[in-house]
Amino acid sequence: MRKYAYLAAGAVALSLAFGAAANAQPKTNLLHQWDNGSDAAAIAKLGEMYTAAGGEWHQTSIAGHTANTLAKLRADVVAGNAPPAVQLKGPEIAEWNDTGMTANLDELATAEGWDKVVAPELIAVMKPKGSWVAAPMNIHRVNWLWASKAVLDKSGITALPKTWEEFNADCEKIAAAGFICIAHGSADWTDATTFDSIVYGMDIDLYRKAFVEGDVDALRSDGMIKAFDQYRKMIGWMDPGIPGRAWDAALAMMTSGKAAFFFMGDWTIGTLNAGGFKEGTDYLCDQAPVDWGKPGYILNADSVVFFTQKDPDYIEGQALLAKTIMSPEFQTVFNQAKGSIPARMDVDLSTGFNACQVKSQKDLQASIEAGTLVRSMAHNMTVLQKYRGAMMEVITEFVNTPDMSGEDAANAMADAVEAQM
Amino acid sequence: MSSTSILAGSAGGAPRSRWLWRITEYVPQIMLAPSVLFSFVYVFGFTAWTFYISLSNSSLLPTYDFVGFEHYASLWENRRWVVAYTNLFLFGSLYVIGGVAIGLLLAILIDQRVKGESIWRTIYLYPLAVSFVVTGTVWNWLFSPTSGIQAFVRTLGWTDFRFDWITDRNFAIYTVVITGIWQASGFAMALFLAGLRSVDHDLIKAAQIDGAGMRRIYWRIVLPAIRPIFIAVIVILLQYAIKTFDLVVALTVGGPGIATTMPAIVVYDFMFQRGQIAEGAAAAIMILIALFGVLVPYGFWAWWRTRREAARG
Amino acid sequence: MASAVAAYDPLATSGARRRAGAMVFVYALLVVFAGYYLLPLAVIVLNTFRDLPEIQRTGLIGLPSSFSLSAWPEAWAHYCVGGTCAGISRNFWNSVELVIPATIISTAIGALNGYILSKWRFRGSEFIFGAMTLGVFVPGQMSLLPWAFILGKLGLTNTIAGLVLVHCVQGISFTTLFCRNYYVNIPDDLIKAARIDGAGFWRIFRKIILPLSPPILIVTVIWQFTGIWNEFLFAVVFSSGEGQPITAALIALTGGGTSVHQYNVEAAAVLIAALPPLLVYFFGGRYFIRGLTQGAIK
Repeated sequence: MRKYAYLAAGAVALSLAFGAAANAQPKTNLLHQWDNGSDAAAIAKLGEMYTAAGGEWHQTSIAGHTANTLAKLRADVVAGNAPPAVQLKGPEIAEWNDTGMTANLDELATAEGWDKVVAPELIAVMKPKGSWVAAPMNIHRVNWLWASKAVLDKSGITALPKTWEEFNADCEKIAAAGFICIAHGSADWTDATTFDSIVYGMDIDLYRKAFVEGDVDALRSDGMIKAFDQYRKMIGWMDPGIPGRAWDAALAMMTSGKAAFFFMGDWTIGTLNAGGFKEGTDYLCDQAPVDWGKPGYILNADSVVFFTQKDPDYIEGQALLAKTIMSPEFQTVFNQAKGSIPARMDVDLSTGFNACQVKSQKDLQASIEAGTLVRSMAHNMTVLQKYRGAMMEVITEFVNTPDMSGEDAANAMADAVEAQM
Repeated sequence: MSSTSILAGSAGGAPRSRWLWRITEYVPQIMLAPSVLFSFVYVFGFTAWTFYISLSNSSLLPTYDFVGFEHYASLWENRRWVVAYTNLFLFGSLYVIGGVAIGLLLAILIDQRVKGESIWRTIYLYPLAVSFVVTGTVWNWLFSPTSGIQAFVRTLGWTDFRFDWITDRNFAIYTVVITGIWQASGFAMALFLAGLRSVDHDLIKAAQIDGAGMRRIYWRIVLPAIRPIFIAVIVILLQYAIKTFDLVVALTVGGPGIATTMPAIVVYDFMFQRGQIAEGAAAAIMILIALFGVLVPYGFWAWWRTRREAARG
Repeated sequence: MASAVAAYDPLATSGARRRAGAMVFVYALLVVFAGYYLLPLAVIVLNTFRDLPEIQRTGLIGLPSSFSLSAWPEAWAHYCVGGTCAGISRNFWNSVELVIPATIISTAIGALNGYILSKWRFRGSEFIFGAMTLGVFVPGQMSLLPWAFILGKLGLTNTIAGLVLVHCVQGISFTTLFCRNYYVNIPDDLIKAARIDGAGFWRIFRKIILPLSPPILIVTVIWQFTGIWNEFLFAVVFSSGEGQPITAALIALTGGGTSVHQYNVEAAAVLIAALPPLLVYFFGGRYFIRGLTQGAIK
């Protein structure tokens, strides 16, 4: 009798195993930091599409700074419980790939033809060692300049400045007319976002060497000192309340007609739309000033990385999630909500997208053709976090320390990065 | 007292095996053992692991290759760490001293037979029920020059009123002190009040008979009698100071720039944001060293006092 | 409990007028301090009743120009936080599920430990007490990864049970400290007499120690409840998805990231989140002082 019992048990076990593989119910648990407000609404759309495609949707969203999400990721990995899907970007994709824990998406990528539709600069980030390990969700443009039409009109300015010289001249006019020239809220990432645009606009080669490659001499160079000096001039045109001001409060200064210009990435669009502001009548958008006369684009992209799993449900779920993320429908719906543009370049933006988003896609193409497309340091797309953190500390210190000279800042930044090498 | 008599009394019957006797003798230790095990792992085990990691080349994840003290060296070359460590001592001392002073003051005030004591107590005590994140956020709103206290007072008419410490590199740390004291001094007050209430009345009566003034009575008799309370309050405030993290993140995000950054924030940033676990571990060990810099002298002093008092008989 | 100076009223000797004057000074100081303490609460409560455009226009300190209750149900059931738009009610109940067992267990263990370390001393017990107390100083950032490792090995990652374990072990340092310092004040003669009568370890605990414990147990319960309820780091890292406690939702307030603040809803969320500890403090406050009065702290 015992023999039969064993046989029966064995048969049951086998059938369960096969049954499991055959009937794997795709499920996932996405770990991300888009916890609240419009970001959460955008992710909710992903959930809806995932569920509609037959998957079981779970998510763990962690509010606050990215560090919290990364802390959870690390804790889960150390506990032996890596999450099936995580929001990771930039050089971190490569770093985690090096640990060998990430899942390979090449099969799906080839089947779906991702190599043909994703921007080339981005592909390098998603394929750190030649294999697809991340699915990009969007492309953000960092080097936007936003302007209040009302303030520009009242100050007698008819067009947005194209070079930094023009920008400075415009600020003099605006200040003379009694307005604040630049709206700003100082935090490490907002200070760095503005500085990204300054360095890039003044000298694209300097940007590439210093912020993309992390070259210490470039950080110490005269070009960098000039960039800091330009930044110091611009800080003079900001109001004294910048420390601790939330970025959306700074945006409100522009939209309410107190300030003229605002430097921020395209997630501004979500807020502008929510506030009912119209492009062309209430605000204007254009690329931040560049001194080398071509279309320029600083890119930031959100993406999802997948960690290898043991549970077949999660494994199935990963493929489904990657597919959903890269689908044109999701890319359209998600980016309409977020203000960015799809990571797929073959998506049509003519309906449902803001005029600045359409411009963003056009400029992206133009920038690729002109060879001026770069990734953003401020938004963690270029150097490793340990260098980026060191750079951003100095940049934000510079913004908040009136007597710190450009030379001091450049040297401090170079020293800080060097210390991490 | 031997355990056998206890057993004989409570068992009231047949003798038990020797094995059971031995177990019963050690019941207290056995019951304590799991807590001891967990606590020791928590305190010593975690610290030892952190120390080992600080000497390793851990970056994204913990790894165990030994590299020596290079992380400590690079830590001290980091401007932000130096600012954070300085802030720990500056904030820590102001916070503890301020908390003790205000807590004591409030306790003495309430002790003056004021009416509605429970209301006052509740008002001063409730902040501790609020989480640090909320405290930091609300005080951030209050300190904001454009939408907080400064703006409000200006709308009342004093258009030159300035209270923009939170945007000032040199003064922002004091906003952290104000907020921290707001949170915890109520607890200090509660402890002091309890202590004041338990002072022996005979001592006070004797001093009164001798004709001592109120100030002398407090200074010479009451305060020394509650010396152990001071220790307790300082311990509680000190551990809050060391762990300060959520409060600062919510209040100033370590700004303006890096002016109010604290060691716990740097540890977190290195370990998790930047994927430099070894450096973060080194920073954590430095925090513990600062702590021991305070605890060890106290330990010696307490031990010396007990010996002195024992010698006095 | 009578005031320390009840028997001796120093101000009375200087004449009734001087006493009245001094008392005015005392009350004045109390009121000023009360303002300092109540200001944040007033700001939050008022902001829950204002609507968002008004806050964005006139700043965060101000009386509501139009009284609106919409922020409350919004916060409870519709606020977009935690990646969904279902309010904070889910997080609230998760916190309840976490805090109640953790508080009860850590208090019980603390009482037992305190009893042992004060009444059943043995060689090395003082050292053990000191070492356990050191646990109050361990920063959370440092213990995060080791805990992750341990929870992983125990198979408790992302579970409420795992969080309960973490908070219990960390809580033992505090609860043992409080209880032990309270129990040392119970006269040893009481214990000795009981032992002569033949009472053992457990009987003494049940019949003598526990009946005298309510004041310190309430202190400990309040401390643990508030501490665990408001704790953020472990709540966020060791939970996931639908199991996140309420502090995970509150972190949205610190507004990292690229979303816009809904200040009035956030204020309501803050109050809802703060309600349990506040209630515990309001009702337990009386016992809190009493517990401390009876020599909770050495």
